[in-house]
Amino acid sequence: MVPRARIRLLSLLVPLLLAACGVQPVATPIASSSATLAPTSTPGPRPAFPLTLTDDAGRQVTFSAPPSRIVSLAPSNTEIVCALDRCEDLVGVTDYDDYPAQVADVDKVVAFAQVDVEKVVAAEPDIVLAAGNELTPTSVIDQLAGLGLQVLVLYPASLEEIYADIELVGDALGTAPRADELVASMVARVEAVTARVAGLDAPRTFYEVSVFEGVIYTAGAESFLASLIELAGGDPITGDALTTSIQLEDLVAADPQLILLGDAAYDASVTPASVADRPGWGGMQAVIDARVVPMLEDLVITRPGPRIVDGLEALARAVHPGALD
Amino acid sequence: MRAAATQPIAATAARPLVGGPSLTRTALVLGSGGGLLLVVMVLAVAFGSHPVDPADTLAILGRRLLGLPLAEHWSASDETIVLAVRLPRVLTAMLVGGGLAISGAVFQALLRNPLADPYIIGTAAGASLGAVAGIVAPLLLPALLVGAGSTWLGLGLVQLLAFGGGLGAVLLVYAVARTNGRVPVVTLLLTGYAVSAILAAVVALLMVLSGSALGAVFAWLMGSLARAGWSGLAFAAPLLLVSFLLLLIRWRTLNVLLLGDAQAATLGVDVEREKLRLTMLATLATSTVVAISGTIGFVGLVIPHLLRLAIGPDHRLLLPGSLLFGAALLALADLGARLVGGLPVGIVTALIGAPFFLYLLHRSRLSGVGAIG
Repeated sequence: MVPRARIRLLSLLVPLLLAACGVQPVATPIASSSATLAPTSTPGPRPAFPLTLTDDAGRQVTFSAPPSRIVSLAPSNTEIVCALDRCEDLVGVTDYDDYPAQVADVDKVVAFAQVDVEKVVAAEPDIVLAAGNELTPTSVIDQLAGLGLQVLVLYPASLEEIYADIELVGDALGTAPRADELVASMVARVEAVTARVAGLDAPRTFYEVSVFEGVIYTAGAESFLASLIELAGGDPITGDALTTSIQLEDLVAADPQLILLGDAAYDASVTPASVADRPGWGGMQAVIDARVVPMLEDLVITRPGPRIVDGLEALARAVHPGALD
Repeated sequence: MRAAATQPIAATAARPLVGGPSLTRTALVLGSGGGLLLVVMVLAVAFGSHPVDPADTLAILGRRLLGLPLAEHWSASDETIVLAVRLPRVLTAMLVGGGLAISGAVFQALLRNPLADPYIIGTAAGASLGAVAGIVAPLLLPALLVGAGSTWLGLGLVQLLAFGGGLGAVLLVYAVARTNGRVPVVTLLLTGYAVSAILAAVVALLMVLSGSALGAVFAWLMGSLARAGWSGLAFAAPLLLVSFLLLLIRWRTLNVLLLGDAQAATLGVDVEREKLRLTMLATLATSTVVAISGTIGFVGLVIPHLLRLAIGPDHRLLLPGSLLFGAALLALADLGARLVGGLPVGIVTALIGAPFFLYLLHRSRLSGVGAIG
C-alpha cells in the first residue's frame, strides 16, 4: 500500500499550495502603527528605534536598531524587501524565490517547504520575515523566536493588508518613507483600474487555479482572489470558502462568460482547446464565445506582494479587453 | 497480521462443490443486487450538488438516450449536468466499485486471507508510482510536456502509466516470489508487501520533488471519481467485462483453492498455472479501474466479505454478487460525497461502510456464523 501516514502529512501541504487562492488567515492581522494610512494621508513622523511592532499574528517584536541582515521565509516577503530597495540585505530566502532575479544568488534557507532552522540561525539575521496561516509553521516561528531571533509574521489577505504589511516592513527596516511612496503608487494604480472598469458590465468570471483529477480549484468565496476579480470588473464565480473547490455541475450551472486559466502559467497542457475538450465544459458560454484566456500572470495575481497591482491590471485587461488602454 | 495468511477463509467451502447454489438463492442475490443497482443509478443521476428537477432529469435521459419525442423545456446547462457530468460519473463509480469488489473476492480466495484486498500484492503501489511518475516527469523533463497533454485510447499519460504500473508491479512480485516453480501464498504476500514498500518509497521521493504538482499527486493518491468521462469508460468497460467473464468461468477453481493448494492439486487443478492466471486477471481488473479513478479503498475488501457472510463462499454466486453490490455501494457513496460538497469518495466509503461492516461482523459472530476465517 501507499504510505498513508506520509500522504496525510503531505496533505497538509496542499492547503499551503492553495493558500494563494485566498484561504482566510488564521489570525486576524493586527494593523501596524501605520496600517490606518489612508491613500491620501500624509505620513507622520515615525517612532525611532528601539521600536516595538505588532505583526500579523498579533506578536510583539522589539527592534533595538534597524536590521541589516534579513531572512525571508516566503517569496512575497522577499518581494516586499526588494521593493523597499533592501534586496542586498537579504541573507536567506526560499527555494521558490524567483523575483527579482538577483535573489537567485541568495542562500536558500527553505527547501521543499521545510524551513532549515540551522541555516536560518547560521545566516545570523537581525530580522526573519515569516509567513502566516501555517505557511511558516507556528512551531518553527516559536523555535526561531526561542533561539533569540526577531521574527515578524506577515499574512496579508486583502489589498489593504498588503499595504499595511509593506508599511510594517518599512517601519521595521527603517525605510518608512520608501514604504509610503510604494504604497501611494500602488493605491494610485488600483484606483486607475477601478475607475476604468466602473460602469462596465461585469462578466461572470471563473478563475481556474488548478484542476487535479477532475477536482476544480478556484477562488474561494470572500477570498482575496475573488475580491481582485471584482476590482478588475468581473463577477467572480467562487468555490467553497474552506476547500476553494467547486463541483463541476455547480460550475456548469453558474455558466461562466469568461474563464481565466491561472494554471496555464505552469502547465503547458492547459489550453483553451484542452478546456473545451473536458467532459461537461463545452457548453459553457465562455467556451462557446471563445473567451477562455490563459493567465500567464498567475504568479503576480496570487502572490500577495508589491506586484499584486500588476496582477490586478492583468486581470482587468482579461476581463475588459481594451478598457485600460 | 500477515502471519494469519494461510488461515482458510471458510472451512465450509466444500459444501457448494456438491450442491451448488439453489435457483431461488441465485435469483434472490442477483435480483436484489440488480434491483439495488438500478435504484442507486436513478438516485445518483437524479441528485447532485446542483438541483435539477427529477422530472427534467428523466425527460433528458429519455430524449437523449432513448430518443423519446419529449418537448425540450429544460436548460442547456441542466442537460450538460445530467448527460456529461453525472451520468458518466455514476457509471464510472459503478464500474470501479464492481471491478474492485470482484478483484477483492478473487484475491481473498487466492490468498486464503481475510485481509486481502485488490491492492494487496503491489497493484496500488505500482499504479501509484506509474501515475505519480506521469504527473512529475513532465515537470522534471520539460521535453515530455507534449506527452503530458496528449491521449492514447482516450487516456492520458498518467492513466496509462497507472494501468501499466499496476500490472507491472504484480508481475514483478510474482516473478520474485516464485521458487522452484511454485509460488507459496505466504511468500507471495510477503513479497508483495516488500515490493510495495520499495515502490511507495519512490512515490514519496517523487512527491518531495513534485513541487507545484504535489496537489495533483495527492489528488490521484486519494482516489477520485471527479474526472470521470465517457472516454475513460470506453477504455475500462471492455477490459473489465473480459476479466470478469474469464474469472467467472474459473469459479470452480476458486472454490477448490479455498481448500488449500495441496487439496486443490489432488482434485486435479493445475494449481500454479491457475493461481498465475487468476492473479493476473484480478490485477487486470484492478489496474483498469485504478487507471480511471486512482486508489479508492475499502470497497474491494468489504463487499466480498459482506456477501460471504450473507450467501456463503461459492464463487459462482459470489463473483456476480460482488460486481452488483460493489457497483451499487460505490455509486451510493459517491452520491453522498457529491451531496456533502465533493469529498473524495474513499472517505465516505470508509466512514459509512466500515461501521456497518463492524456491525455485521459482530452480529454474525453472535449468531455463530463464522464465515470469515
